[in-house]
Amino acid sequence: MAAEGASGDSAGSPGTPERKEYLFKVLVIGELGVGKTSIIKRYVHQLFSQHYRATIGVDFALKVITWDNKTLVRLQLWDIAGQERFGNMTRVYYKEAVGAFIVFDVTRGSTLEAVMKWKSDLDSKVYLPSGGPIPTILLANKCDQNKENVLQSPAQMSNFCKENGFVGWYETSAKDNINIDEAALCLIENILANSKNFPVEENDTSNIKIAQTAMPAESKSQCC
Amino acid sequence: MSCSDDSTKEKLLWNVKKEVKQIMEEAVTRKFVHEDSSHIIALCGVVEACLLHLLKRRAAGFLRSDKVAALFMKVAKTCTTAADICKKVQDMQQQVEGRKSYSNGQESLKRQGSTTGRSVTLTPQALKHIWVRTALIERVLDKIVQYIVDNCSKYYEKEALMSDAVCGPILAALLVGPCALEYTKLKTADHYWTDPSADELVQRHRIHGAHSRQDSPGKRPALGFKKRHSSGSMSEDKFAASAREYVESLHQNSKIHLLYGKNNVLVQPKEGMEAIPGYLSLHQSGENLTLKWTPNQLLNGTLGDSELEKSVFWDYALIVPISQIVCIHCHQQPESKGILVLVSQDGIQRPPLHFPPGGHLLAFLSCLESGLLPRGQLEPPLWSQRGKGKVFPKLRKRNSSNKSVDMDDNIVEEISTDYVFRIIYAGHKHENITINYHHLAASRSVSVDDDEEEEDRLHAMLSMISSRNLTAPKTMKDSNDLLEMQGFGANLLPWQLNEFCSRGSSCLSCSTGSSPYDIPSCCSCVHDRTPLKLLCENMKRQIVSRAFYGWLAYCRHLSTVRTHLSALVHHSIIPPDKPTDATGGLTKEVWSKYQKDMKNYKELELLRLVYYGGVEHDIRKEVWPYLLGHYKFGMAKKEMDRVDEAIASRYQKVMAEWKACEVIVKQREKESHSAIYAKLSSGSSIDSHVQRLIHRDSTISNDVFMSTEELDVSERDIKGRSDKSSTLSNTGTTVVAAPAEPQQSVEFDSPDSGLPSSRNYSVTSGILSSIDDGQSMCFEEEESSIESDRTELSVSQSRKNKGILKMQDSISEEQLCSQLEFLSASDDISSLCPTSYTIELMDTIALNLHRIDKDVQRCDRNYWYFTADNLEKLRNIMCSYVWEHLDVGYVQGMCDLLAPLMVILDNDLLAYSCFSQLMKRMSQNFPNGGAMDTHFANMRSLIQILDSEIFELMHQNGDYTHFYFCYRWFLLDFKREMLYEDVFSMWEVIWAAKHISSAHFVLFIALALVEVYREIVLDNNMDFTDIIKFFNEMAEHHDAQLILRIARELVHKVQTLIENK
Repeated sequence: MAAEGASGDSAGSPGTPERKEYLFKVLVIGELGVGKTSIIKRYVHQLFSQHYRATIGVDFALKVITWDNKTLVRLQLWDIAGQERFGNMTRVYYKEAVGAFIVFDVTRGSTLEAVMKWKSDLDSKVYLPSGGPIPTILLANKCDQNKENVLQSPAQMSNFCKENGFVGWYETSAKDNINIDEAALCLIENILANSKNFPVEENDTSNIKIAQTAMPAESKSQCC
Repeated sequence: MSCSDDSTKEKLLWNVKKEVKQIMEEAVTRKFVHEDSSHIIALCGVVEACLLHLLKRRAAGFLRSDKVAALFMKVAKTCTTAADICKKVQDMQQQVEGRKSYSNGQESLKRQGSTTGRSVTLTPQALKHIWVRTALIERVLDKIVQYIVDNCSKYYEKEALMSDAVCGPILAALLVGPCALEYTKLKTADHYWTDPSADELVQRHRIHGAHSRQDSPGKRPALGFKKRHSSGSMSEDKFAASAREYVESLHQNSKIHLLYGKNNVLVQPKEGMEAIPGYLSLHQSGENLTLKWTPNQLLNGTLGDSELEKSVFWDYALIVPISQIVCIHCHQQPESKGILVLVSQDGIQRPPLHFPPGGHLLAFLSCLESGLLPRGQLEPPLWSQRGKGKVFPKLRKRNSSNKSVDMDDNIVEEISTDYVFRIIYAGHKHENITINYHHLAASRSVSVDDDEEEEDRLHAMLSMISSRNLTAPKTMKDSNDLLEMQGFGANLLPWQLNEFCSRGSSCLSCSTGSSPYDIPSCCSCVHDRTPLKLLCENMKRQIVSRAFYGWLAYCRHLSTVRTHLSALVHHSIIPPDKPTDATGGLTKEVWSKYQKDMKNYKELELLRLVYYGGVEHDIRKEVWPYLLGHYKFGMAKKEMDRVDEAIASRYQKVMAEWKACEVIVKQREKESHSAIYAKLSSGSSIDSHVQRLIHRDSTISNDVFMSTEELDVSERDIKGRSDKSSTLSNTGTTVVAAPAEPQQSVEFDSPDSGLPSSRNYSVTSGILSSIDDGQSMCFEEEESSIESDRTELSVSQSRKNKGILKMQDSISEEQLCSQLEFLSASDDISSLCPTSYTIELMDTIALNLHRIDKDVQRCDRNYWYFTADNLEKLRNIMCSYVWEHLDVGYVQGMCDLLAPLMVILDNDLLAYSCFSQLMKRMSQNFPNGGAMDTHFANMRSLIQILDSEIFELMHQNGDYTHFYFCYRWFLLDFKREMLYEDVFSMWEVIWAAKHISSAHFVLFIALALVEVYREIVLDNNMDFTDIIKFFNEMAEHHDAQLILRIARELVHKVQTLIENK
């Protein structure tokens, strides 16, 4: 099914080489008020505003990235309310995610403490097909607010990431648009590397798990 | 004249500008524009309007209906770019034409997500604008328009927009932007997420909605109902007229529907002859079904015309009116072909039809069954099975009942592929049998899902019932020829049933069933063949069992409805039109009448008005306090004043309390901050430093739920031991709520995973540091000693059921004293400030204050009401409420609930009181209460009963019958789903509904939201992500009045369901 979709596309526009398409579900989690929504808005819409409302439940955004000539990546970003770790809904929200950002606020140390809780919540509820944890990047947001920055030295942070199973960390600022694209690229790289190991790989245009689950539903819809 | 021309041009250009802006915005926000984007269609439309403005007749082509096409063709003669486009469009049109004739314009046109090729994705609108659209997507539209402008005199009148020296070039310039965009066709099979926005889905639904409903009247078409064209391999020219007529009759035509067609069905035309392949077809003309089988020799054109006419194969061809057929025997051997024998009324058995392997036999039966409807049906009916479509009825049931009377297992297994179906028609003369069929439809679907074990038990019971009532028990016992009975299908020859011819009876069960053992009242015929007798018993049992299942299913359904739903609605229905029409709502007029003459107005009557028609906006400020329970209906002015006074004094007291505490908290925070920075600069060991960092800022700690819960426990303890005086407001008491349990890294779902009291420790260090004024040298020692002491303490204390710590505890006493000293020195609040704040309490307060601040700052900032002043009021009210409910604390969403109240009431005291009232119900929805899960469970029951189709979809598409997509709806009473104005009317209906129709009216609003968009949900085959995204995007776009109306109707529907006993 996924193969059909992609090949049909390339047939429709002669001249462009055959492209692989990926749809990745990526979670953005962390304590309330650390700037998850701002990061997403900045990343997807290149905007920063003081006027976001508190997220209740979950919000979505989509970012399309032309990775290279042959690869198109769509990130489906799940902006999960900072309070939701306490509900049992995160299990459903996390389902089928292939990567995550955990955000904390450098001006508030306790949000870094909470990072570990989010991480263990995440790791206990979602896995890669191989059984490993999904690649997760730590974002130290609001780094523009230098004065109150309580961040430790890079070496310590890297150590922290290693100990807690993050694939990397970035000092970011949604306000000044610092490091957000870089962090996303890093995450995509990791996800793509993982997707090579996914069992779906036999058909080259794997849309990973999401495509798989779509198949029965789709074929059902066609028969009637 | 010229003036109006100018304004027309201006308008046309303005439209183009608007659409260009739209499309550029889309390109910016989404980084790409999809070819199917509605903006493209819109832009094409307005550009076309410009192109057509005063187009010369000659250029438009005198006879052509598509003027744009004519223009493009003309331009193409001299402009190569346009020529390219013409070619592309023509190719595309051909493709579309070809596909149309092939698929006969079926649904594929509308279903875009499921298609692959380019041409297939063209929507009807895209086709309409195919010329401009293609030019746009090929990114040359601007060039073509520029070309036309440059040569405008050829194509346009003088006054035309394109001839205008200003407008023409502007139009071309406007299109440069859109032509620089990249249009993508990328659309994968998953079509989840890139797809059209919710708006677009709704728009599309409006466009095709009416049409699609015609296609599928209410439900999906009957299963297995295939319309198809006969294969093109037949060269009809070669047939002689008569033969051709016959063969043509095999095709689909306007009068006769082809229900089924299958080639290479084998029939043995004569004894001693080889079975020959032929084309089997089932035709429907009006109410008549006809089965035809035509030998391949007549179809494949190998015979010449004359030969064909005389061919012996005509004798072999079968034409069987189904109305003559009473009985169908099927034999299906696994992994080989299926055999079907038709037996007609006169008892004549038609030559067996041998179907090729595969499900063809079943497919045929399924088509036949649908073809027979509505007048006739197969007995037993085919079963519908989830995911598989039609299946043969499970004979296991019958067998299991046989098992209970010592039937041999093995025999059962191997014969289960043979079936006898009768064809029966409603209104048949044998009424005693047809009556039972009324229950069939119900019983069929339900019994498939039934728990198997239970079924077996029921079958055993049923077989007992049937054997007792209908047959002599010994019949079953001494039937050693049961095997023969089971094999009746396989051994057809014994009952070629010739003797039935004379009788002309079409009821097999009756005519064959009369044996000496059981004497059916309706028939007196006598047969001595035991297989027939057993067949009869079997059928009887089937009939009884089906009747029973029908009844059982009905009972179960009703009991489900009652048990699940009866608690959800009031049982007495209060109508909208009695005593008066209530749809006008509660108007100012009615309200002032009520205030003058309270005694003559019943509370319920006012609420009825609100429920059916809402409250007039001007009087909401007065009415809402009643609806929310701040005032009671019928209260005298004096009483109302007393209520207000009580609230005012309570509010003031609470405000004073938490404000005092806030000062301490702020102070403490400031101090601990400076201590941390002192520490930071001293460059002490990083590890402990990290620890400190992490623990220091308790204000934002995550443990609000845990810690408040704990607090709650200790509070209750206090209440138990020392009267009901709360520590929080009781000044001067020496009783302190002690740290019940260390809370660092305590998770919500694992409350016992507490570590040593690192949290207390961190706080302690903070305070100490403030006392020591930043001298960090002596920290380590002190801290560690404190820590160990406290750990011991808290452990022992917690063993004693999370007991209470007295101030005598030297360490905490010391802390608090120093803290108080410090405070009283710095401020004059000591009189207000209770001396008994515990550190944990302070933490909780700090945490809640922080959260409140975060959310107040960003609460509905785009709504005019929330100026800095009013946000301050919002904060005061919220803090006061949370202060009184520290056990729950502040949870995100509470600000959303308070904001509309403030907008309407515009009065701190009223808002505070009404919010407290509102929260009595709403706080249950927050994580500590259990109401949310109850809502979800109720939604499940409701949808399952009221709209099983959508429930099925939800169940199958990754199963989101957990209904988490309704979370925000219930948490905030739809506040985020509606515009402010609509929130008001929705809320007051919810409040009134409690007294009028249902205390769970929110469920019905949620249900109404699902129902309003159900076609879209179904058409797009939405999964959890789709639906939650859809409703997120639809927020504030709903028609609130429509939704309320549907919600009220749904309540009424459930009420009548329950009432109807």
